[in-house]
Amino acid sequence: MSDDSVPLALPLLRLATGSSEVTTLYRELRKPLLRYLVCLGLTSDEAQDVVQDAFLSLQRHLASDGAQENIRGWLFRVAHNQARNRQTSYHRQFGERLDSEMDFLAHDATPEQRVLEKEKFRRLAAAIRLLTEPERECLLLRAGGLHYREIGEVLGIATSTVADTVERAIKKLAEKCNV
Amino acid sequence: MCDVQAKLVAWLDGELPSDEVVGVERHIEECKECRDRLAAYEKVSEIFDVYCDVVVAAKRHGRVSLWVPVLAGAAVATAMIFLAFPRARIEAPSIATPAIKAASVPVPALPMPEPAPRKTIRKRHAVAPVQEQIVRWQPAEAAVQIAIPAEAMFPPGAMPEGMNFIAELSIAPDGSVKQVRVRQ
Repeated sequence: MSDDSVPLALPLLRLATGSSEVTTLYRELRKPLLRYLVCLGLTSDEAQDVVQDAFLSLQRHLASDGAQENIRGWLFRVAHNQARNRQTSYHRQFGERLDSEMDFLAHDATPEQRVLEKEKFRRLAAAIRLLTEPERECLLLRAGGLHYREIGEVLGIATSTVADTVERAIKKLAEKCNV
Repeated sequence: MCDVQAKLVAWLDGELPSDEVVGVERHIEECKECRDRLAAYEKVSEIFDVYCDVVVAAKRHGRVSLWVPVLAGAAVATAMIFLAFPRARIEAPSIATPAIKAASVPVPALPMPEPAPRKTIRKRHAVAPVQEQIVRWQPAEAAVQIAIPAEAMFPPGAMPEGMNFIAELSIAPDGSVKQVRVRQ
């Protein structure tokens, strides 16, 4: 697997010079971070708190001349660790049935389409419940746009392990979902 | 099962080393099974991505729906407060009336039914202060007396020395001079 350095489209070298770059980062990564944390099992409020704390940590990190490489992975790692500290809500709801909650999302679709969509998500939710914790985390970070190397840094595992885990998880989902 | 199948996901994610990419892509073109698998992996990745959005939206929706009863309760409480104030004002006389009636009922049953002193007391307090108040509120004319030396009014030597006149000015309630009377 590729171990090449991942080019980030972020002005990382100028981060310490002002807060505008941190603001840019915040706008770019806030939503992916929130999505990752909520899918880990945190509530929306908890996820907001963790994201804010993560960006505060980033400011302190940069103010103390911390490393500016792979800031995206750094932020996800901080957020991931903070989410893990909230053990009561961590992995609480991802993969649960969302039958009633999905009604408001598919209001544009026909009844037949809605039934099919619901069935599709129901099968996926059931398949997600069969995944191991590292498999779920790898897939969530992958869905957040992180590269394998960044995922490895967040979870503290090798890049090759990430590749194997992602491949195994995708295969499981594809088989269980019958797609 | 061909060896390339284990590299399909990495190829899909753009994580395959550059020296392996060409070989894998060539194999995908030739192998229908790998193409089907690749399509399935791509589709399940998309579904997973959408599912994440659904989870986020559902939780956000759940948070909003939790607020609905809270806000509804607050609105009902506010409405009750606003409704309670005018009702209390309207009901105030009706509350007082039964109280008086209730108090008046046991009075005849008391062994000392002597209402006479009450009547006299009521008359004293009712009539006398009202009259006093009316007198107080009548506008009174202010009178001002000014001593004027005779030299100020007549040429020197025309009047005996030391003679003064008193001018009495009646002041109207609006502050204007109503009447002037001069006397010695």
